[in-house]
Amino acid sequence: MKPRKITLLGPEGTNLYIFFQFLSFNLISWVNLFLISKDFTFSISNIVFRQIIFSILGIVVFFIFTYIPIQNIKNLSGILMLSSTFLLIGVLFTEESLGAKRRYDLWLFDFQPSEFTKVVFVIYLAKIFTENSKSLFSFFLIGLNIVMIFLQPDLGTTFILLILFFLYFYISDAKLLNLILVLIISFFLFLGLLELNVVSQFQVDRITDFYSSSQDFSQSQARLQISLGGLTGQSTTDNVSVFVPVQTTDFIFSAFSKNFGFLGCLVLFILWFFFAIRIWILIKRSNLIFEKYLLSGFIILIFIQIFINVFTVLGLIPLTGDPFPLLSLGGSSIIAISSVFGIINRSFIENNLTI
Amino acid sequence: MINFKRISFIYFLILISMSVALINIFNLQFINQDQLRDKILKQNYETYYIPAPRGDIFDRNGNLLAGSELNSFLFMNLKKINDTNIKSYKEFIKFNFTEMQNSEIENLFKNPSVLVEVGPIEEKEYKFIKDIQNFQAFEIYQLPKRVYKYNELFSHVIGYIGSPNQQEQEEFSNSKYNFTVGKNGIERYYDNILSGSPGIITFQNGDIVDFTPPKKGKSINTSLDVNLQTVVRESLMEGILLANKNFDSNSTIQRGASIVQDISTGQIISIISIPDFNPNQFIEGISEYDYLTLNRSKAFNNYSIQGLYPPGSVFKIVAYWLALNENLYPEGAFLSSDKIDCQGNLSFGFNDGSKQVYKDWKLDGHGLVDLGSSIKQSCNVYFWDIALKIWRTFGESESESILQEYAKNLGFGNQTNIDLPFEKFGIVPDRQLFEEWKVSRPELVRPEGWLGGDLMNLIIGQGAITVTPIQVSNAYRSLIYGQVDKPYLVEEYFQSNPKNIDISSKSINLLLNDFGKVTNVGGTAYKAFSILGSQAEDTGGKTGTAQNPGDQNSTSWFVGIDSISNPKYIIVTVVEEGGSGSAVAAPITRRIIQYLKDIEMTPVEFGEITE
Repeated sequence: MKPRKITLLGPEGTNLYIFFQFLSFNLISWVNLFLISKDFTFSISNIVFRQIIFSILGIVVFFIFTYIPIQNIKNLSGILMLSSTFLLIGVLFTEESLGAKRRYDLWLFDFQPSEFTKVVFVIYLAKIFTENSKSLFSFFLIGLNIVMIFLQPDLGTTFILLILFFLYFYISDAKLLNLILVLIISFFLFLGLLELNVVSQFQVDRITDFYSSSQDFSQSQARLQISLGGLTGQSTTDNVSVFVPVQTTDFIFSAFSKNFGFLGCLVLFILWFFFAIRIWILIKRSNLIFEKYLLSGFIILIFIQIFINVFTVLGLIPLTGDPFPLLSLGGSSIIAISSVFGIINRSFIENNLTI
Repeated sequence: MINFKRISFIYFLILISMSVALINIFNLQFINQDQLRDKILKQNYETYYIPAPRGDIFDRNGNLLAGSELNSFLFMNLKKINDTNIKSYKEFIKFNFTEMQNSEIENLFKNPSVLVEVGPIEEKEYKFIKDIQNFQAFEIYQLPKRVYKYNELFSHVIGYIGSPNQQEQEEFSNSKYNFTVGKNGIERYYDNILSGSPGIITFQNGDIVDFTPPKKGKSINTSLDVNLQTVVRESLMEGILLANKNFDSNSTIQRGASIVQDISTGQIISIISIPDFNPNQFIEGISEYDYLTLNRSKAFNNYSIQGLYPPGSVFKIVAYWLALNENLYPEGAFLSSDKIDCQGNLSFGFNDGSKQVYKDWKLDGHGLVDLGSSIKQSCNVYFWDIALKIWRTFGESESESILQEYAKNLGFGNQTNIDLPFEKFGIVPDRQLFEEWKVSRPELVRPEGWLGGDLMNLIIGQGAITVTPIQVSNAYRSLIYGQVDKPYLVEEYFQSNPKNIDISSKSINLLLNDFGKVTNVGGTAYKAFSILGSQAEDTGGKTGTAQNPGDQNSTSWFVGIDSISNPKYIIVTVVEEGGSGSAVAAPITRRIIQYLKDIEMTPVEFGEITE
């Protein structure tokens, strides 16, 4: 890898495409939150202002990761995984909020270590799959992280990590028989965890009830809200509104559909898909196996989150409480996704790719 | 190996998922649009709020000072009450809540709200819990109750809670639906942190469709100390009792305040105001008679930050500091150790030829005194001489307010900005203020305005000057620490704003030594501290006896320092109309110092009468 000169915009070879795409997602979330709150005062309690602060922090994080060579990230993966483990153990000693122990209370926002874990998990899996060094210890670390998140309890994130784990086996060209084996093990692990009774009956009921009866209250409200969107979003003269709980985080997509309509959703999906296609080209061209694994993992991570969120809002799957990347209000999620964008930008630079 | 085909297959799945999502959205937005819109228009929501428990308040050692209890209450969903079942509900309530009167029960059913609170069920028996399951309209929710574990002990500093008025609902965002707000003390100052977010129950056509549970507020750790606070309160009460026995005042002496401040951090370790009240009374509902009695005795005032008193001789440290810094001593003296002869009075002339005689409290005089011994014996003449020197040197020039400038630099005349609400400012009078008063409050000033006599009064802490006990404590702390900063109770939210003041470490040592002499042989507080024996040598302080207008007794002041060699705490005690500082406030402070130094505590005994 040849050393890079530092220019004003970043290391030599920086192409602005990823950065602009990153900015446009942030911008969309500001406009969307503003349309929800209709409030543009400069105070910490204003959600638009909060989101802008998080975005600015995110841009800083984006550039920090742009300066870190991919090789260093690979070398650091073990340490990152260990620190994620400690953060997850530590969070179990914090004060319970809304029936779960998920966050560290920092001054400006609550830090959710599980968002950090998702990114580190991908990096770590990429490393052990590249080196084919699937030791007992590495599986222990992976298992420990999943269990710790489960104990919070956070079913949604547990599920995401398990899917990531399975899909890594899938893309690593594992034999079909082995895949089925991993799938069965994951399934029984999940059932075993449920037996621990950490998850309240309430949460289990939410899943089992889902398939037996109708949707959750907030989900049916969200569907109603989406219907107001029409082709280009609810017109400003239309005063009909629907009450949707956790509007700014888990159910942000229903507000987005209401505000921007079918065309807005289409444009948002196309933007994300273009982004995915560029990474697909990058995966194809890259010479580093680690990079291929890393980028595939990030794409899987981002799109699982998007689909879990969208399908929850549409009432197609049970309620899990998962944010929409760069659209939901929330510091931890934005910072985590910003680091992913930063790393992706770095690998574009290292591959001298200008598309 | 990595299988690129399988990655491409994942991309294919992404495309499929997007299509599924878009088809669903299209369905909602175009195919079923009208039907769903009707449904929205038919929706009929009502919300009911469940107050959240407030955060806990702890002392410095983790003792719980104010906590929240949760108790279960029975609620009734009025939308589920109809003509056929209303009778059975009424009978059930009448049978199980015998303390309720018939009219109260009737009123429950007339409430316009969707949900009404019936009563507590914490002590009900199992059968009751089983019975209510047959009644569809009953719901059980937990309501928080504030508990102040130490009753009166922290009444002013922690404050109490009550129903928010219109203005408070706007100022404290959570108060509207928690139905409570901090009315005073830490409860008010940190209301936004202590108050949690209320729970929300959403009803649709009478059915509960969503419940967001209440979220408890954040807890606060204070710098207070339960044990010290207990000792300080006891000592102050003893002292006030003693003062009443020893004076024939027209009114009973009943008010006082006491503060213990950590010198190195500025933290308040203990803060007491007497008379006090039990904040738990506000939770249970205080009777009008009790409230009026408390209000008449002004028990709701926190005298430690709201009491405005003339400081008397405790104010002399301002002139002491000025004299050292500006080399400004009485006529004929050029060093702090140069002595003048105090004959018990001072006569002097003004430019207009008039002569005046000022009498010291000790009529036969203090003899030869220097700066240090004037603090020790609280000699007024020495300080009057300094005032005369200022008056004659600076005349009516811009520098004539140099004493006031020094006082303001120590924080007098302004809020200390301690983390408690409703702090008073106090007054440091000067020519400008007197000119303003001539217009606005002419009864307070002479037509001539600001005169030399006013400056002479000011230098010994008399006349128009008023200070709060917290200002005095923080001023002494600042001088000894060499820096002015806000005093505070909660470190987590403390934003330091330090201002260095011009005092050399040599001057600080000199000052501490002179404080030490006050509690030892020949000092004004010697008698009050003599019970400490040789241990009194390492203590110090300053007495103050501030005269009040009319036939009111003097205000009794004492500022104590636990150790001269290693000063850790400033202890300020003031007893309103308590008389001599050395007789009342000093022995109270002495008992607190005994506790701080781990010496066996002895009762508060009446000290010597000085100024």
